[in-house]
Amino acid sequence: MCYSAPQEEQTWLSWPPLYHTLTPPSRQPETLSYHCSFADGPTRLFTHLRYTGQDKSLGTSGDCVFVRACVYMLSFHCSTPFFPSSTSLRFVPPSSTMYISLPDICLSPLILNICHSLSSRNLFSRKPKEPKPPSQNIPGWRLFGKVPLRENTTKDPKDSFTIQQEYPVKVGPAPGPQVQLSAARRKNLEFEPLSTTALILEDRPSNLPAKSVEEAMRHKQEYDEMVAGAKRRELKEAQKKKRQMKERFKQEDSIANAMVIWNNDVLPNWDCMRNTRRVRELWWQGLPPSVRGRVWSLAIGNELNITPELFEIFLSRAKERWKSFSETSSENETEDSGSLQADRESSLDLIKLDISRTFPSLFIFQKGGPYHDLLHSVLGAYTCYRPDVGYVQGMSFIAAVLILNLEEADAFIAFANLLNKPCQMAFFRVDHDLMLKYFAAFEVFFEENLPRLFNHFQINNLTPDLYLIDWIFTLYSKSLPLDVACRVWDVFCRDGEECLFRTGLGILRLYQEVLLQMDFIHMAQFLTRLPDDMAADNLFSCITATQMLSSNRKWGQVFSALMKDGSKEIANHSPAPRS
Amino acid sequence: MAYAYLFKYIIIGDTGVGKSCLLLQFTDKRFQPVHDLTIGVEFGARMITIDGKQIKLQIWDTAGQESFRSITRSYYRGAAGALLVYDITRRDTFNHLTTWLEDARQHSNSNMVIMLIGNKSDLESRREVKKEEGEAFAREHGLIFMETSAKTASNVEEAFINTAKEIYEKIQEGVFDINNEANGIKIGPQHATTNSTLSGSQGGQQAGGGCC
Repeated sequence: MCYSAPQEEQTWLSWPPLYHTLTPPSRQPETLSYHCSFADGPTRLFTHLRYTGQDKSLGTSGDCVFVRACVYMLSFHCSTPFFPSSTSLRFVPPSSTMYISLPDICLSPLILNICHSLSSRNLFSRKPKEPKPPSQNIPGWRLFGKVPLRENTTKDPKDSFTIQQEYPVKVGPAPGPQVQLSAARRKNLEFEPLSTTALILEDRPSNLPAKSVEEAMRHKQEYDEMVAGAKRRELKEAQKKKRQMKERFKQEDSIANAMVIWNNDVLPNWDCMRNTRRVRELWWQGLPPSVRGRVWSLAIGNELNITPELFEIFLSRAKERWKSFSETSSENETEDSGSLQADRESSLDLIKLDISRTFPSLFIFQKGGPYHDLLHSVLGAYTCYRPDVGYVQGMSFIAAVLILNLEEADAFIAFANLLNKPCQMAFFRVDHDLMLKYFAAFEVFFEENLPRLFNHFQINNLTPDLYLIDWIFTLYSKSLPLDVACRVWDVFCRDGEECLFRTGLGILRLYQEVLLQMDFIHMAQFLTRLPDDMAADNLFSCITATQMLSSNRKWGQVFSALMKDGSKEIANHSPAPRS
Repeated sequence: MAYAYLFKYIIIGDTGVGKSCLLLQFTDKRFQPVHDLTIGVEFGARMITIDGKQIKLQIWDTAGQESFRSITRSYYRGAAGALLVYDITRRDTFNHLTTWLEDARQHSNSNMVIMLIGNKSDLESRREVKKEEGEAFAREHGLIFMETSAKTASNVEEAFINTAKEIYEKIQEGVFDINNEANGIKIGPQHATTNSTLSGSQGGQQAGGGCC
C-alpha cells in the first residue's frame, strides 16, 4: 500500500496502545481548563491528540480560534458519557487534518484535541515581534507521536480512569491556577494569544524625515479607527460565542439526560419500548454516542443468527486465504489460474487498497492506524461469509462506521445484517434494474416535495443516480460530516430504507435555493461533494419538512407499485453533455 | 461562462489507478496522496483554450470496480472523449484494458476519442508495464497514448488537452455532428444563438467556422 502522509503526520504511525480521555471541561468559558487522563483500559476511546500550534491562517478572528487538530473521536463504552452531537468534524483538504472550532473542543467531554489557545481575554495584546516558529516545529502534544507524553503518567491498570495527571490547558496571559507542569510541558501549553490586531503604530525610522504633524494625526486617527473596528468585531464575536456556548451547554445537558433515559428505561425494556412515541421522538433527536452502538445493534437485529463464534470461523477462514494467497500469489502471477483465483485476488487486493481510502482524513483506518486491522477483519470475514456478494466498494465505509461504534464481532453481525436488507442488497449486488426502481420511487417523492427543483433537475438532465449512488452505498457516511451521518444512521435504524431517501430529499431541500441557481455540472459537483460545514440541525429540520407521502401512498407502496410495474421501463440514462 | 464548445469526458479504468487524482490535478492543480474512494461517479470541469477558442471540459470520473461496470456503462453515452487509465506499477490494470476498451467502444459513439494513460510514471522503481507496451497497445487499437503522473503533474495537462485537440480536429474535419448532442459536444451559448438560425442538419464545418 502506498501511503504517504504529510511529513508531520509520520510520527503517529507507530502508535502505542494509549488511550486517552478528557473529562468534561470546567464550565467556565473564561478558564477553559481541561483535565485529561491517560489510561490503559478497556475503553475504546482513541484520541489522537496532537498539537501543532495555531495556524495563523485559520484564525478567523482573535476570539474565534480555529485550532489545528487531528481528532480521533470514537466512543464506546467509555466512562465519559458522550460525544456531543453538535461537534462537527470538518475535513479540510489538502492537509487532511481537521479543524475544530473552539466551542466544539471545550464542550466535547470526550475527546478531541485540546490545543486551543485563546484569546478572548487579552484582546489587544500586541504580537511579539519575533516571528512565530512554524507550527510543525512546536513540540506539541502528540499522543501517538514522538513526544513521550506518558513520561509523567503512572500506569494504573486497575482504575483506568484515574486521572493520572492533570493538564490544565489554561491559556491566556495569566497562568492557570493549577500549575504543576513540567517546564517543558508548560512551554507546550503556553499558547500565544491570538489577536486580530498585530497593528502597531510607529513613527518612521530615524533615518527618514519625520512625519508632519498633520500626517501623524491622520495616522493616529486611522489607527484608532482600525483598532476600534477590530474591537467591535471581536466583541461581537465574543457575544456570539457566548450565545453558542449557552446553546451547547443546553444541548449537552439534554444529551446527558437522554443517555440516562436510554440506559435506564429504554434499553432494559427494548422490545416493548422501541416503538413508543416517546422513544421514537427521543430517537429522532439523535442517540447519545455511548448508547449508539447498542441501539443500532438492537434495531438492526440479527435475522441471520450470526454468533460471535461464527464470525471467528469466517475470520480465520479469511486469514487462511490471505496467508495462502500471499504465499501463492508470486508463483501464480504469470499463470492463468482461472477466473476464480483472479476474482479472489482482486477482492482481497481491493480490500487492502480501499481500507486506506476509507475516511483517509481520520487517519485511523490506514495502515498502522488503530482500526486498520479491525476493518480488514470485518470485510474479509464478510467476503468469506457471503462469497456471492463479495466485497463491493462502499462497504468499507459502512463497516468503518460500525467499527467506530461497536466491538468487532458485534460490528460484523450488524454489518452482515444491515447489508442483508433489501435496499442494501439491491445496491451491493449492483442490481441495476432494482436500483433504478429505487431511484424512480425517489423521484416520485422528489417531485411531490420539491417540484421546482425537480423541474430544474429535469431540464438539466440531472438524474438521481448521479448523486444517490454514493449516498445510498455508503449510507451518507462518505458524503456527510461524520457526526451528521451518524444521526442519519440513527434514524435509518429507526425507520429503515425510507429514511435514506428522505434524507436525500432533506439535503436537496436544504440546498434548494443554491441548486436552483446552478447548471448541470455545478449541481453534479455540488451534490457529489457536499459542503463539509453542514449543520445537523438544519439538515434535520429539512428532513422533518419532507413528507414521505405521494397521493396518500407511503414509500413502501410507491416502491412496490413500481416493482409491479416491471414492464414500464424507466428511462434512466446519461444523455449528452449537460451544460 | 462563455465557451465555444463543451466536451464531455469520461475517465475509466481499474480501481486505484489514479483516475480521481488525475482529475484533481487537472482541475485543482493539486495532489492528494490518499484520495477518497469514488463510488458511482464524480465530476470536474475546467476551461481550456484550443486554437484561440474557449472549450469547457465536463469530466465524469467513474468508479473503477468491476461490480460497478453496469453503472459506468450508462455514463459513456454522450462522451466525446475518454481517458482510459492504467497503473504502470500494476500489471493487472494493464491486462484489463481490453475489456475496458470493449465496454467503451460498445457503449459510446464511434467517434469518441480515447486517450490511453499509463499513470504513476513517477514510480519508476515499481514499474511493471513498460512504456513501449503502452505505446504498442495504443497503436494496435488506434488510441492516443501518454504516461502521466498525477503526483508530479507530469503530462496531466497534456493528456486532457491533447484529447480535446483531437476532438476539435474531428469537429473541423466534420467527423462530429456537433448538433447531435449524443456526440458529447455542445456548442457554447453564444454560438447556440447564431447557429440556431441556421439550424438543420449541417455538418461540423460550418460550426467550426462560425466561431467569433
